[in-house]
Amino acid sequence: MATKAARPKRLKVTVRGPGKTQIQLIVNGQAHEVLVEPRRTLLDTLRKDLGLTGAKNACDEGTCGACTVLLDGKPIYACMALAIECDGRSLETIEGLAQAGKLHPIQQAFIEEDALQCGFCTPGQIMAVKALLDSNPKPTLDEVKRALSGNLCRCGAYLKIVKAALRAAELLEKAQGDTYAQSHKD
Amino acid sequence: MRSFEHVNAPDIKTAVALLREASAEAIAGGTDLLGELKARVRSPKRLVNLKTLSQLRQISYSQKSGLKIGALVTLAQIEHHPVIRERFSLLAQAASSAATPQLRHLGTVGGNLCQKPRCWYYRNKLFRCWLKGGEKCFAEDGENRYHAILGADRCHAVHPSDLAPALIALDATLRVVGPDLDGEISLEELYTKPTESHRHMTILGPGELITEIRVPTPKEGARGVYLKAMERQSWSFALVSVAAHMSFEGERIVDARLVLGGVAAIPWRAKDSEKILVGQKLSEELAQQAAEAAVAGAQPLRDNAYKVPLTQGLVKQALRAVAGEISVQS
Amino acid sequence: MPKVIKTKTEFEGRTLEEYVVVEGEGLEPWEPHAPLKFVGKGISRIDGPERATGKALYTCDVQLPGMLYGKILRSPHPHAKIKKIDTHRAEKLPGVRAVLSSHNTPKISFRRQTFLFDEIVRYVGDEVACVIADSEEIAQDALELIEVEYEPLPFVLDPEEALQPDAPKVHSWGNLLNGEPEVYERGDLNRGWAEAHVIVEGTFRTQCALHNCMEPHGSVALWEGDTLTVWDSTQHIFGVREGLARLLGLPLHKVRVIKKYMGGGFGSKNNLGKYTVIAALGAKVTGRPVKIILDRHEENLAAGNRPSSVQHLKIGAKHDGTLTALELKALVAAGAYCLWPPSLGGPARELYLCPNVKTAQYTVFTNTGPLSAFRAPGYVEGTFALESLMDELAKKLALDPLELRLKNYAEFDQTTGRPYSTKGLRECYERGAKLFGWPKRPESSGRFRRGFGMASQIWSGNGMPPAYALVKINPDGSATVITGTQDIGTGTKTVLAQIAAEELGFPMEKISVEIGDTQTGLYAPLSAGSMTVASVGPAVRMAAHDARQQLLEVAAQVLEVPRESLTISDGRLKSPALKEPITVQEVLKNLENFMIIGRGAREPNPQDVTVNTFGAQFAEVTVDPETGAVKVERIVALHDSGRVINPLTLSSQVEGGIIQGLGYALYEQRVMDRNTGIVVNGNLEHYKIPTVLDVPEILCDMIDRPDLRANNLGAKGVGEPPIIPTAAAIANAVADALGVRIFELPITRDRVLKALGKE
Repeated sequence: MATKAARPKRLKVTVRGPGKTQIQLIVNGQAHEVLVEPRRTLLDTLRKDLGLTGAKNACDEGTCGACTVLLDGKPIYACMALAIECDGRSLETIEGLAQAGKLHPIQQAFIEEDALQCGFCTPGQIMAVKALLDSNPKPTLDEVKRALSGNLCRCGAYLKIVKAALRAAELLEKAQGDTYAQSHKD
Repeated sequence: MRSFEHVNAPDIKTAVALLREASAEAIAGGTDLLGELKARVRSPKRLVNLKTLSQLRQISYSQKSGLKIGALVTLAQIEHHPVIRERFSLLAQAASSAATPQLRHLGTVGGNLCQKPRCWYYRNKLFRCWLKGGEKCFAEDGENRYHAILGADRCHAVHPSDLAPALIALDATLRVVGPDLDGEISLEELYTKPTESHRHMTILGPGELITEIRVPTPKEGARGVYLKAMERQSWSFALVSVAAHMSFEGERIVDARLVLGGVAAIPWRAKDSEKILVGQKLSEELAQQAAEAAVAGAQPLRDNAYKVPLTQGLVKQALRAVAGEISVQS
Repeated sequence: MPKVIKTKTEFEGRTLEEYVVVEGEGLEPWEPHAPLKFVGKGISRIDGPERATGKALYTCDVQLPGMLYGKILRSPHPHAKIKKIDTHRAEKLPGVRAVLSSHNTPKISFRRQTFLFDEIVRYVGDEVACVIADSEEIAQDALELIEVEYEPLPFVLDPEEALQPDAPKVHSWGNLLNGEPEVYERGDLNRGWAEAHVIVEGTFRTQCALHNCMEPHGSVALWEGDTLTVWDSTQHIFGVREGLARLLGLPLHKVRVIKKYMGGGFGSKNNLGKYTVIAALGAKVTGRPVKIILDRHEENLAAGNRPSSVQHLKIGAKHDGTLTALELKALVAAGAYCLWPPSLGGPARELYLCPNVKTAQYTVFTNTGPLSAFRAPGYVEGTFALESLMDELAKKLALDPLELRLKNYAEFDQTTGRPYSTKGLRECYERGAKLFGWPKRPESSGRFRRGFGMASQIWSGNGMPPAYALVKINPDGSATVITGTQDIGTGTKTVLAQIAAEELGFPMEKISVEIGDTQTGLYAPLSAGSMTVASVGPAVRMAAHDARQQLLEVAAQVLEVPRESLTISDGRLKSPALKEPITVQEVLKNLENFMIIGRGAREPNPQDVTVNTFGAQFAEVTVDPETGAVKVERIVALHDSGRVINPLTLSSQVEGGIIQGLGYALYEQRVMDRNTGIVVNGNLEHYKIPTVLDVPEILCDMIDRPDLRANNLGAKGVGEPPIIPTAAAIANAVADALGVRIFELPITRDRVLKALGKE
């Protein structure tokens, strides 16, 4: 059953749920219509309803960072958001980073610096770095650490994660320089 | 989470009306509420989403009317706001010390002020503790290293907010809207020790909402600091925190507000310490006196006696920092 | 040809004697300075892209058509008899497909100490029933509808109390594992005490630590006819296969266990879990695939822990520091069930030269969550006590802590009398001390107190047979390594590819590695005990060697050149008899789909020497005496694990071990409500593991000297060694800073303030 509209006395509001209701999520630029119960988290919707299993469920209560995605460009824990409250909003997940099979510079840097071991927290770490570099392309060491302070890594890859973030910043700057040079060549 | 209905609040008035109904709960950032729902320690039948009230997302400032922060402003907005960083740095420090970047992007100032305790008995479905309507406080003779040392009675949980001590130190007030009210109270008045008949940590009743936080412009030359002792370097609720805000005439303290977090069921105003400070020049001896006064009357439990010296140490460091003597590490 | 022999093998502090089939002999290790192309190089992970793009499929990511979800009902009581379970209301909830309990499942014995669904529950978190439903949410809802009538029984949570004669019994046979302590003794302890000029002693307490692997334990079970396929987050696919086959009465070839990627294990995923068996039964009953993934709280209740310990340690020494006697009595809280107790006495028995030693370990059942292996089980705890007390001894003798350790350097394995194959500990001390600046340690100044400490590491890490591998060379000149090991995040796949590329003479990009599947893979041991590379690596090298020999044989015939004249490098065959090098693909292209299959096995371990790993770590801390805050400023780590195959992934292991050790030293501890036995911090909010901001400067280096007796690689394990000395080194640094010692972990603010007399 889709949207169940109820009108409590005198109040003009739309009550949705507790059954499934239709929402739209824009994930990595593509619109998805999904039926969810109001209690469905954004994380479960991404993983179970959309099959985007890159964001991981490691704690499901906002204490680890493995499910970090970007909501309207800001990093959040997908386990601490209700899917219904993301209706119509834009999300960026790890699946959206590599374009046409080409790794994103952050991913490249993570691999080259060995900034991952078991890899389970890695999508979340990479998205946290992405959020940082989108808003602050030349972060200091301290800014990198603070931006990553909400992402736990039990394998303890932290030193290399920080290195990778700084290296990614360099790679991105270089890539942008190259793009600029390319666009001004013709 | 048990299942629930979901309503987007179209306006404040409707939100108030919806929240007046039994078993309706407000959700803003959700970072506190969803934790309770997931732990199944609370199960409202309906969530009223306040995030649709976009008029409550604004921060404004003027010298005359001070700082106004809409209740839905996120902690991240506060942390990064240039005016807050410059003129209310104590508040920016408190915001940036809370939780993590991701949670600060979700969590709102209103929600932060109204959050429930992190007490591990309160948050566990297997314990029907006094605060949840049960008979006893399990922390009293249980595991109480994080619990209150000051003013506790039937419940030994502490108020977990970082913003609250900072805002009280800044003498903030709130605009509160409810079914039968629309008025301003001081933030300090919001908090109450839970009692037999009112097992809550704020005075807000059903349908009563904070819509705005107002902070007066500090006096010229006023200085403040927020220090937070954690078990690790970040991402922890405060074991103890200290928000200190003082203004000076020359080197003499003319006004002092000292508020402690992590030590009581409410953000704890250390009024005796404030009295000791006012009119004096800050010295190491004075800081020591103020630190001792801050925890006078402390009644530690078996595992939290360390909070007494920790609070003292942190108060001294906060006072030194305000006096600009040394850089400090908590 | 395989032959059967009896062999002794050391694993995590105990010597096992068993029959093994010996194969894989005859391949000499690479010479220490052999010019190697891939081995010894810091090559980035071959599966990095999968992991960095979110494409890597972990067990919890597996979603099958029609898949159902299972949620387990767990005991709220630390000890109780289940009088009645009523599942009717739960079964009626729409979306619930089955409820499993003792009523409708076979009585399956588990660890010979309990049953899959036992009528007695022995800790808060013990399995009572399981709901299988369309979604996790429905399964959770249904759990609340199961009505269980418990008859609470007397319980005991504390291991010291559990040893009292009148203590409630966790099991009918008593609370002491095997009914007696595990005792080791050499020399004459009384003589040792008599010869001692000074005696130091102390009671050390270590906490219960929780693994908190980022990926929780879990399984997905699928039946196709009478064949069971299980995706499991495990460190031992063959162990899970054997367990499932045994418990469910299935032949081995009808059970397939798959684990492609895994989000950490650290020892907690060494064994078959109940959830796996329950998923298999649930899938059988419903006819649909079933997924059970533990949540973070279950993970911290029922998925194992590093048990708490109480260690009474006493050391006697002469004025010059020579040890005369060493005695340890250790109590370990097993929890409700125990498969493989950690060996806390290992360091005391092995690390220092001492003729008179006694260790006694009491492994005690309590009504708490069961222990499991946790990265160097026993040695982390034992090293904390031993190295702390060694520093107290040094203080008493006015000796430098490092000098005391060098004074008692053990040149041979005192537990067997055998020499060590290699031992680079002295170099670890020397190089570490130099890197750290140990001789010139400044005094504290200012408001913070600085302290410096060091500690040593000993651990097996030798690897063992059996382990097998295949290397197939495809017609296009690429090769695939096939074995049944698992990469638990350590970089195993990459290291195996390097070994194969080296031996074959192929470029790295021509190598793929298939692991983690019992049906297609060959037996490999559990990925634990720091033994994966040293067990599986030699088998892979042997298989690659075999494949290479066959390739040379074929190439000699195809190219019509003498076989002895041919060599392979960069995937090309070279010979003075050829005008120019020719690619493997060129050679094989006219042979249709001819495939070369090389077979390899791990050779036996040497019987006349002990193969161990060693290391030393140095720590600097600052302590704020006003607030009790301890900050680790830097760690210098030097380890000897034989030949380094990949310095990049190896340094990740070392850093990771140190960071886990730091968490153990300063933050981590399971907190259990003493009145109810309920774990109150079974989450990542209150159970604090280090964040990026807690990580100090870490400088690590390796001795990197091949152990030519260890195996055909000369390499030993490195997964566990780096966590072993960290807590001890930090504790020693804190003691140096404070001037008083804290005998208990973790070193939290309350303990620091108390030690300073402020509480």
